[in-house]
Amino acid sequence: MGKLWAVIKREYIERVRTKWFIIATVFGPLMFAALMIVPAWLTLKTKSAADISSTVIIDATSTGIGARVSEAMRGFGGGPERAPEVRVVPPSELTAAESLATAEVMREAKSGYLVLDQQTTAGESARYAGRHASSLTAMETVREAVRSTVLGYRLEAEGVSADRSRELTTGRLAFRTERITDDGRGGSGAVSAFFGLGIAFLLYMSIILYGQNILRGVIEEKTTRVAEVVVSSVRPETLLAGKVLGVGAVGLTQQLVWVATVVTFLTYRVPIFKLFGIPAPPFQIPGVSPVDGLLLLLFFVLGFVFYAALFAAVGAMVNSDQEAQQAAQPVMLMLVAAAIFIQPVTFNPTGGLATAMSWLPFSSPIIMPLRLSIINVPTTELVGSLVVLLLSTLLVVWLAARIYRVGLLMYGKRPTLKELGHWIRYS
Amino acid sequence: MDNMTGPAIEIRNVVKRFAAHTAVRDLSLVVPRGTVYGLLGPNGAGKTTTIRMILNVIAPDSGTITILGQDSTSDSILDHVGYLPEERGLYRKMKVRSILRFLAELKGMSRKKADPLIDEWLERLSLKTADKDWGTAKVDELSRGMQQKVQFIAALLHDPELVILDEPFSGLDPVNSQALKDTIVELRRRGKTVIFSTHLMDNAERMCDAVCIIANGDKVLDGTLTDVKAENAGRTVAVALDGAPNTEIDRIFADRSLVERVDDSNRFFEVELQPGADSQDLLRAIVGSGARVKRFELVQPSLHQIFLEKVGAKGVEPGMSGHG
Repeated sequence: MGKLWAVIKREYIERVRTKWFIIATVFGPLMFAALMIVPAWLTLKTKSAADISSTVIIDATSTGIGARVSEAMRGFGGGPERAPEVRVVPPSELTAAESLATAEVMREAKSGYLVLDQQTTAGESARYAGRHASSLTAMETVREAVRSTVLGYRLEAEGVSADRSRELTTGRLAFRTERITDDGRGGSGAVSAFFGLGIAFLLYMSIILYGQNILRGVIEEKTTRVAEVVVSSVRPETLLAGKVLGVGAVGLTQQLVWVATVVTFLTYRVPIFKLFGIPAPPFQIPGVSPVDGLLLLLFFVLGFVFYAALFAAVGAMVNSDQEAQQAAQPVMLMLVAAAIFIQPVTFNPTGGLATAMSWLPFSSPIIMPLRLSIINVPTTELVGSLVVLLLSTLLVVWLAARIYRVGLLMYGKRPTLKELGHWIRYS
Repeated sequence: MDNMTGPAIEIRNVVKRFAAHTAVRDLSLVVPRGTVYGLLGPNGAGKTTTIRMILNVIAPDSGTITILGQDSTSDSILDHVGYLPEERGLYRKMKVRSILRFLAELKGMSRKKADPLIDEWLERLSLKTADKDWGTAKVDELSRGMQQKVQFIAALLHDPELVILDEPFSGLDPVNSQALKDTIVELRRRGKTVIFSTHLMDNAERMCDAVCIIANGDKVLDGTLTDVKAENAGRTVAVALDGAPNTEIDRIFADRSLVERVDDSNRFFEVELQPGADSQDLLRAIVGSGARVKRFELVQPSLHQIFLEKVGAKGVEPGMSGHG
């Protein structure tokens, strides 16, 4: 026990001290903050850049709604005083007016033109052509202006007073989604998907980074031949266990720092966003129940041990980093296969694919936490997946320990599958 | 140690096979306590495999190994054994003091107990002087000779009862080589048991109380150095001639009814007689050839010769004589 502790301590301290660990631990949250702030800031910039007030409104409806649309578009870009110019034309001259406007847009006198005709007042369609056609925010503003104006016009046509119709048509509808779990309400749907994706990605990154870290550690022990001194004092199994636990603890430490800073960042996002002059996005930190937290931890630990043991076995089989790249490919492939399914599972967390990936031990540590944070996974599935993962992890550790024991002191040619079988049998 | 008088190591009928060949076949040997014991053999004889089995790094296919009265697979016994492997290395990025502390902890020592001993050893091997403390340096920054010193310390720090050194002299500079010899002698004086493997017979002859020669995984001979020499004595004659040897002398030494083999150093010969041949017949023949004899002496054979005789007969791989 004391020896295992000594190995864990060495693996942990030697890694936590490195520059890379410190850089990654500090820069991870900074990256996250940048990911939150930069898009918000960019959106703000885009909004002011998309000057829709220099749009020409070509009104061929002979109802005068062009002026009302222009009013509704006032204030978006180019200052509150500027509203788009309205050109009322008879329907027969519409084509000519459009050609003129196109020419104006081409020499940048105008940014675009909006066509309102009979189909618009009928509530069917309107057309925009111009420089901002691909700007989502600009188009959303134009669309909303036309839609509410047309709606108001049609209400008035039905006899509703102008004031009343304005009252009825203004006001954006905010759309919130909320997830209902067994315990009641559990935060917004989008937030938990975001959270789930974050967790899955974090697990995937940790396993890749720290699994490879173990791989390199084993190769270092082999190439420097320090392994021989170490295994003359502790059993190779103890060394393997200490390595996996020590490096796992490093990964967990990093994640805790990351999660803690991200949570702090989100909690104080209003003052932080204010510093950049951006309104803070509405965001609710998802509440994780202790049971869910425990399950996430369990999946991470088992998944990490599963992959770490495999990486250690690969490390014991090879003699150099170059060889390791090739030998680690099957392990990496399993991991990448699991990661490829993150997106489809997020979109359809109850589908057949999601269920299947939750049963397979190589993908369940990544897919299951993802599903857990989006939906309520049936208990039978949850327990089954955990049991399968646990048993496979035990099997993998047992196999890896045997390969490790023999491979650690073998130099030279990489073993073939048949030789690997020998190793497993005679250690 | 509960059993202070029993042998340090007892190996019984140990066999180890690898896929293609048998590395050790039916090896039995006893290392008495408090001795310096040499495990001798050509490259590929099975020395390292034997040592690794003693240290429970690899398991024998059959047979038993007892260390200091306990089974070699028992948990804590290796805490009383120090080991310097042939292939040496340290964690390159670790500081010297941390690595020594770690290796001491693996031997069951507490940090508190290890720290003062580490300083003592660093000073003793001049890795820590008034101007420079290499203990705070990373292994990477040390010269090769200094790294070797750190490895000695690692093997001896926990004051083991039994010290196993695999080819300890290979790659050592003369200064470290001398330091190692001094250390072995000092350990022996303090009642510790030291086993070392080597193919350098000169070192073994000067230092070992007892030896075991193995070749091709088989034991060729073992026993105390005195016994081994006595058993092989009486058949080696040191001959020195005055003046250049004549062709007649060459003919006499080539006579296979009298001489088994000869180590010809031009003016000095070590002649090994055929079993049953009389040394007086040889003397008569040499005098009869007209050569002037300066020295004719029945001598104890050197370990080097015994090794060549015994192992040579077993067919050493070409290019791998006793010296190498």
